[in-house]
Amino acid sequence: MTSLPGGRETAPGEGGRRTRDHARRSNTASPRRRGFGQGLPWLLMVPALVVLLLMTIFPAAYLLWASLHGGTLLGGNGQFVGLQNYVDVLTSVDRLKGFALILVFVVVAVSIQTALGLALAVPLSAQTRSSNIATTIALVPFAVTPVVSALVFRELFNPNYGWVGYFMGLVGLPDDIAWLSSTPLAWVLLIGIDVWQWTPFVALILMAGLKSVPQEPVEAAAIDGASGWQIFRYVKLPMILPFMAIAVVLRTIQAFKTFDSFKVLTNGGPGTSTEIINLEIYRVALQSFRIGAASAIAIVFLILLLTLVPLLLRAVGRGTDEEGV
Amino acid sequence: MSTKQTTPRHRRDLFIASATAVASVALVACTPSVEGGGTGDGADAEAPEKLNVLYATAEANAAAVQAILPQFEAATGIELVLDTQPYDALQQRVFAEFASNSTFYDIVIVDTPWAPALVDRLEPLGEYLEDESLNDLADADIGDYIPKVLYDTAVYDAGNPVARFPDTAAPGDVGAIKGEGFDVYGLPLQANALVMAYRKDLFEDPAQQAAYREQYGTDLKVPATLEEYAQVARFFTQPDKNLYGTTVMAGVGDWATDDFKSLLAAYGGNGTLVGDELSLDFNSPEGVEALTYYRDLIASGAVPPGSTSASWDEAAASFGGGLTAMTMNYHQVQLDEGVDGEIGFAPVPQGVTSGPHFGTWMLSLNANGQNKAWAYRAAAWLTASDQQLAMTENQLHPSRTSVYDEVSGENAEEGPTTEFYDVLGQSLAQGQGRARLTNYMEVSQAIAVAVNRAASGVVEPAEALAEAERNVRTLLEQAGYEVPASS
Repeated sequence: MTSLPGGRETAPGEGGRRTRDHARRSNTASPRRRGFGQGLPWLLMVPALVVLLLMTIFPAAYLLWASLHGGTLLGGNGQFVGLQNYVDVLTSVDRLKGFALILVFVVVAVSIQTALGLALAVPLSAQTRSSNIATTIALVPFAVTPVVSALVFRELFNPNYGWVGYFMGLVGLPDDIAWLSSTPLAWVLLIGIDVWQWTPFVALILMAGLKSVPQEPVEAAAIDGASGWQIFRYVKLPMILPFMAIAVVLRTIQAFKTFDSFKVLTNGGPGTSTEIINLEIYRVALQSFRIGAASAIAIVFLILLLTLVPLLLRAVGRGTDEEGV
Repeated sequence: MSTKQTTPRHRRDLFIASATAVASVALVACTPSVEGGGTGDGADAEAPEKLNVLYATAEANAAAVQAILPQFEAATGIELVLDTQPYDALQQRVFAEFASNSTFYDIVIVDTPWAPALVDRLEPLGEYLEDESLNDLADADIGDYIPKVLYDTAVYDAGNPVARFPDTAAPGDVGAIKGEGFDVYGLPLQANALVMAYRKDLFEDPAQQAAYREQYGTDLKVPATLEEYAQVARFFTQPDKNLYGTTVMAGVGDWATDDFKSLLAAYGGNGTLVGDELSLDFNSPEGVEALTYYRDLIASGAVPPGSTSASWDEAAASFGGGLTAMTMNYHQVQLDEGVDGEIGFAPVPQGVTSGPHFGTWMLSLNANGQNKAWAYRAAAWLTASDQQLAMTENQLHPSRTSVYDEVSGENAEEGPTTEFYDVLGQSLAQGQGRARLTNYMEVSQAIAVAVNRAASGVVEPAEALAEAERNVRTLLEQAGYEVPASS
């Protein structure tokens, strides 16, 4: 029931009809006014559309055009090569491996960040003085520039004078581990730095979700005898799943763009074991300036992302629906 | 009805007009303005108020150049505005400037790996060098450059950048250079070469000398050959005392390639890696020998932990921190304050011959520049003998023979600086530059991966180099080169 001015009440839905009637009346204004009314939004959107055209659509179209040519930044050898650049990408074992490595990195790093972010968010979402201080501290890594954190990690894990080795030695562990000379350990470090840096970001989103959970169902479950774990698992977790979906999607997109830590810490080594495709694009585009070849790699990468992100969104959305939220 | 027909057109017109207006504003804003002040070429060109110079940071010792800029302004009234950028950003800026035909920078610093791609955008200096009126402020005198430095850095055939001037030992002569179809595309400055630094205090320690004599039956001396080098490195290695013999730069990067190409040259191979006819010379018996030596040196434990992920930076830090008795590096090395010791310098130990890696920066003129005559005068002044000598106060690595005669000749004061310059001068005279390829950095990366894999013991040297050859061949073909079928 909706109260109307004068105390008259309407049946459910009547208010909505009145609103639609009002809208319909507005739409039956004079043709001149309707034309202006319909054109105005387009007019207002012109600046945004121009920016979109110049900053997104034109570069994307240029990228596609460039990928079909053998051009370099300085203009030489820019003839049409058809799909040759794509053939080069898709027949190169190293480049396909580069795509696979970034994919594995993203899956592992984002999974760990989501789990740890949730583990951090639960205690930090409590409205206490100590949790507020802890939240502030936890957010510090998130605020550090990625290249700076990579440089610091490189020094910390130096087997000869790094602090990590020093403290490991104090507790009887090997103190001269060459982290970046070993493929598994290099990956541990690369994933570790990403987890250290971005877990607070995930935690921040999940904290917002936990704080938005209404108290009534929580209290009702408690009165019914649910344990703390049961309340979290069956009441809170389903309610924060949309927040988790946002965190996972944002982090996935960000993680696919990871570059600094790989460039600074390993430069693709040992051998090519951490040579993600992002490094390859950088080398071809910004060191050899072979724009056509780099564009083709970037387009393939873009297609990969455009395929994966909707799948991820659908998977996350299905999970959310199944939980009935 | 009529309104319905005209409204869409009106909307479209409005949209087009708005878009055109915004695009026009954007285009006007993006169009580079031509700086005034220059009147073109020639000795009588009007002096501009300032000249813009795009320069590196520590890589090309910007501090040394900045220190003498006030003298140029005092002499000419022209301000030299030095815009310094770190390496990666500099490379991107340089290429972007030339790609956009920008007129902003008058003088641009160019590193040797970039030159093959840039050479047709650089102003050829042959005519400037021959015009005495343009050498009034300072004589560019290319005959004074260390010949190898000049030819490797600045002498190109723009139509065929892969080619090298046939006689790289001859003193620089513009007539001879132009006669062979080449030209000069820059004036070399800050010449880096791989040199050996060692702990003089350890080598002169009587206890160490006695121990060495007892162990090997010969006197402990600064190694001159690769065999001696490996032996001395093993001798000094005492991990329990946190001391190792030497460093390597075997991490994936250009530094690993530089280590390898020096050894390749020492074993009698082509230290530039790729020949003028695009022969992939690094995959050769000499290359396998060189890489085997490198791997064995690392496997012997004579280098600190983590050396297979080290760059020149870690190598310098290890030596500077007193962790190693020797090092080979192309950047300045010094001992940290807390290390009580003394540094000595020596050429890189040789095998059947010697060819340490070297690479020199050059000051080039922007072919689109508006003040080319004055830009040339400024570049000639900055790279002249007197100015290079003055810049050695700030550890500039000179490129001229006359400067080395001054700072390391008979009249020079004895000391580590003199010793360093003496060694650097010798190393530059014997050095081996890089292959002249437009995609050298990609090629270098592929070779560095092979060096790293072999150095780590993952694959045998021969297998690593064969794999690198396949990758380099593909990279060169993708870059438009026709690589001979067999190398």
